[in-house]
Amino acid sequence: MKYAQDHIRNFSVIAHIDHGKSTLCDRILELTGAVEQRNLQAQMLDDMDLERERGITIKLNAVTVTYKANNGEDYIFNLIDTPGHVDFTYEVSRSLAACEGALLVVDATQGVQAQTLANVYLAIDNDLMIIPVINKIDLPSANVEFAKKEIRERIGLSTVDSCLVSAKTGEGIKDILEKIVELVPPPSGDPSAPLQALIFDSYYDSYRGVIVMVRIKNGSVKVGDRIKLMASNKTYTITEVGIRTPKEMRTERLDCGDVGYIAATIKDIKDVVPGETITYADKPASEALPGYRKINPMVYCGLYPVDSDDYENLKDALAKLVLNDSSLVYEPETSKALGFGFRVGFLGLLHMDVIQERLEREYGLNLILTAPSVKYQVNINGGGMVVVDNPSMMPEPSKIKSIMEPYVNASIMTPKEYVGPIMELCQEKRGIFEDMIYFDDTRVTVKYKLPLSEIIYSFFDRLKSATKGYASLDYEISEYRESDLAKMDILLNGDIIDALSTIVYRPSAYNRGLAIVSKLKQIIPKQQFQVPVQAAINGKIIARADIKSVRKDVLAKCYGGDISRKKKLLEKQKEGKKRMKAIGTVDVPQEAFMSVLSLEDENEK
Amino acid sequence: MRNKDADSLYIHIPFCTKLCGYCDFPKLLGSEKWGEAYITALFLEIDSYNIGKMSTVYIGGGTPTSLNDDLFEKLIRKSKEHLKDGGEFTIEANPDSLSEKKIRIMAEYSVNRVSLGVQSSHEYRLREMGRSHSFEEARNAVELLRKNGIFNINIDLIYGLKGETLEELKEDLSAFIELDTPHISTYCLSVSPGTLFYNKKYNEPGEEESADQYELILSTLRGVGYRRYEVSNFAKDGCFSKHNLTYWKDNRYYGVGLGASGYLKDTRYDNTRNLDKYLRGQYIEKKEEIDPKSEYEYYLLTNLRLEEGIDLEEFEKEFSYTLLNKKEIKEMIESNLLKIENNRLSATDKGMMILDRILLNLF
Repeated sequence: MKYAQDHIRNFSVIAHIDHGKSTLCDRILELTGAVEQRNLQAQMLDDMDLERERGITIKLNAVTVTYKANNGEDYIFNLIDTPGHVDFTYEVSRSLAACEGALLVVDATQGVQAQTLANVYLAIDNDLMIIPVINKIDLPSANVEFAKKEIRERIGLSTVDSCLVSAKTGEGIKDILEKIVELVPPPSGDPSAPLQALIFDSYYDSYRGVIVMVRIKNGSVKVGDRIKLMASNKTYTITEVGIRTPKEMRTERLDCGDVGYIAATIKDIKDVVPGETITYADKPASEALPGYRKINPMVYCGLYPVDSDDYENLKDALAKLVLNDSSLVYEPETSKALGFGFRVGFLGLLHMDVIQERLEREYGLNLILTAPSVKYQVNINGGGMVVVDNPSMMPEPSKIKSIMEPYVNASIMTPKEYVGPIMELCQEKRGIFEDMIYFDDTRVTVKYKLPLSEIIYSFFDRLKSATKGYASLDYEISEYRESDLAKMDILLNGDIIDALSTIVYRPSAYNRGLAIVSKLKQIIPKQQFQVPVQAAINGKIIARADIKSVRKDVLAKCYGGDISRKKKLLEKQKEGKKRMKAIGTVDVPQEAFMSVLSLEDENEK
Repeated sequence: MRNKDADSLYIHIPFCTKLCGYCDFPKLLGSEKWGEAYITALFLEIDSYNIGKMSTVYIGGGTPTSLNDDLFEKLIRKSKEHLKDGGEFTIEANPDSLSEKKIRIMAEYSVNRVSLGVQSSHEYRLREMGRSHSFEEARNAVELLRKNGIFNINIDLIYGLKGETLEELKEDLSAFIELDTPHISTYCLSVSPGTLFYNKKYNEPGEEESADQYELILSTLRGVGYRRYEVSNFAKDGCFSKHNLTYWKDNRYYGVGLGASGYLKDTRYDNTRNLDKYLRGQYIEKKEEIDPKSEYEYYLLTNLRLEEGIDLEEFEKEFSYTLLNKKEIKEMIESNLLKIENNRLSATDKGMMILDRILLNLF
């Protein structure tokens, strides 16, 4: 069944965690007859368990449904889901670029939450028609007027056309669907122009290769067409097109304004990154769609199996994950302390967390992650430059002429009352002030140049707490700049542990060294002998803490039932010990390798 | 091979007149209401086993002496039926519930060992722990026992209470030594879930603190002729608790009564802690089959608590395994945590203090 372009509505749903986005989507799917209720797994758009548990959407998804409006006419709705974290801001902006409208879900008991704001700003940037949806009106504590006021004052949106709903009971859902028909503009675009399709997501299928989710901006596409990716300049022949309902359903073609999938025996997901434009190979569009950005990993860390026998399993698991994740890169590396592992690149720390959890949960691996690092450029005396993404690979200090580190252009959108705290934070993080732009009476964008290494750690969390969560952050790599940096080594029992080395800003090295050794002293359990923990730069010890030897560890009472309880406890402790890495004679817990990360959180308190 | 027949019997009496802050044994207040029904069920459980005559019988609690005199006598009489001539017959008692009448009953039925919960010589500490007796009453109880011919007496001491100084512990030790009993048990306070202390968020002593206290106890009691024959137990020669040695030598024993544990043939079991179930005759709650690997672990876990340690020859016969070939054992002998003497492997003084670490290396 084909629909005229003016009967298509493409929209997205923007909501804070727990404000009921998934339930709302489920209700919409039910009412539009896309899915029968008995097939409806609760919150079906978030299909990874991990996403459901964390309440965040990592992987984008899109569903096509049909809706018979009160005016008697049939419409096609494409509902495009978006992830919700700063690591994925770019992906969000690309999926919003595939829409003409967005539902902004606000909890009637809580009002506008900070996390929502970042995505609302993105939607405004993409010129979307935004329909406020005030949810949870069935709750006794619901305060619709308050929620409306928040939408008007915090975001600056009119609430005349807002919908009052309860996704839980289903009340008001029909009203949303009518508003979508009435207010969201149909896709513009020229059906007879050369093909321009925006890629906003992709996933791997072992039979058909990479499946690409697209929004047709101009022209149309069908099986057999020769297509070209405009950024990577690769060509393919289309083997299949269709829509997701949410099950895949083949169609003959995708026309101007449609949202659907394309298969073209694409082998490598890295060729079809979000934001790419697909056009005809033979009769290409004159230019690509705007907004494309090459995504590069920002953060690198070492990934090692606790049990070295798991190396091959880790290798297989990474190979599988990378099939579905265009932003993940990895290569083998070796550590004296940890053995064989991989250096893995991520978009950010959340991305890193998610990958770690998936490896541990889905592949049953027990992993050690080393502290994240950015990519440094090291200029060598007498010429030449090396790139270092693993601190332990830093050249000898005598050979180093200078170290360059990546900076980002950071834009922080915020209600204006938080400008002070934000500037303080950026100053502390070695930021260089660039600009301040007032949108209107309430909103400001503060622009800074910041070292990437300073923002990958705790910057986002610090920003949230400094602004009660109302600021949003977007950044892109700008350039490399020279900084006063040095490699700091950590010694356990007198031996350098390569996996614990970090690159530090020299003027704050002393404080950082002290913080790290104290933290390690807390994390590493007492051993049978005293263990000195030291921080050193260029062979010179700058901080030290001693892990005391254990003096007493024995159960006082061991009679009758105590005996089997004690045995169970020992077995449990033995399991815990297995999760530690024996380095020399010291048992080091996994989290020790990430201890640099948690330092900042503590300084904050 | 070791004998897998039980030669010891433990009987649990779960009644108390007052609850103590640290106690995590199965216990109930007031024996008036349930005492009779309990004793009836207990006897049924005893009879459900074919328990012959044992070398040791131990009645623990709770507070066995909190039963009324009639029930108490019934219990003692029944228990004695399972005692070999000349066997060790121990009863746990609190100083305040130990009347002369009860002591006479004990003596009459060959009870020859009493374990007294004295815990502290400081009145405010006794109150803090919820004990319902004074140290003076403890002193009198010891005298009364001796007057009635029971000389094999143990007194319990608890250390590691909040803010307890070494000075305070020294005073306790002097007072305990003055009672001149042949056996003293000293327990570092541990706060288990479900206890009053736990609910009040009472803290266990810190490691440094309790290590200092343990060292003080060890040197003081050794200095006046006690041997630390087990981690927490001190006795004059010839007065080790034969019954408790059953546990620490990993031998088999019957356990009867609410929440009691036993070890028969290749099974360890725990009785229910639910009085209702118990009275309905559902005694056993949980069973654990002991395979050779876990028997090996249990053997180390128990025997290494003893100063005499493990007889290497017996061990090799039992498990067809040479302990000394184990890398971890060699390392720990080298670092002075374990030692070999007269073909026995045992923990050094240093090792005894971190025995649980040692065990973790051996499991």
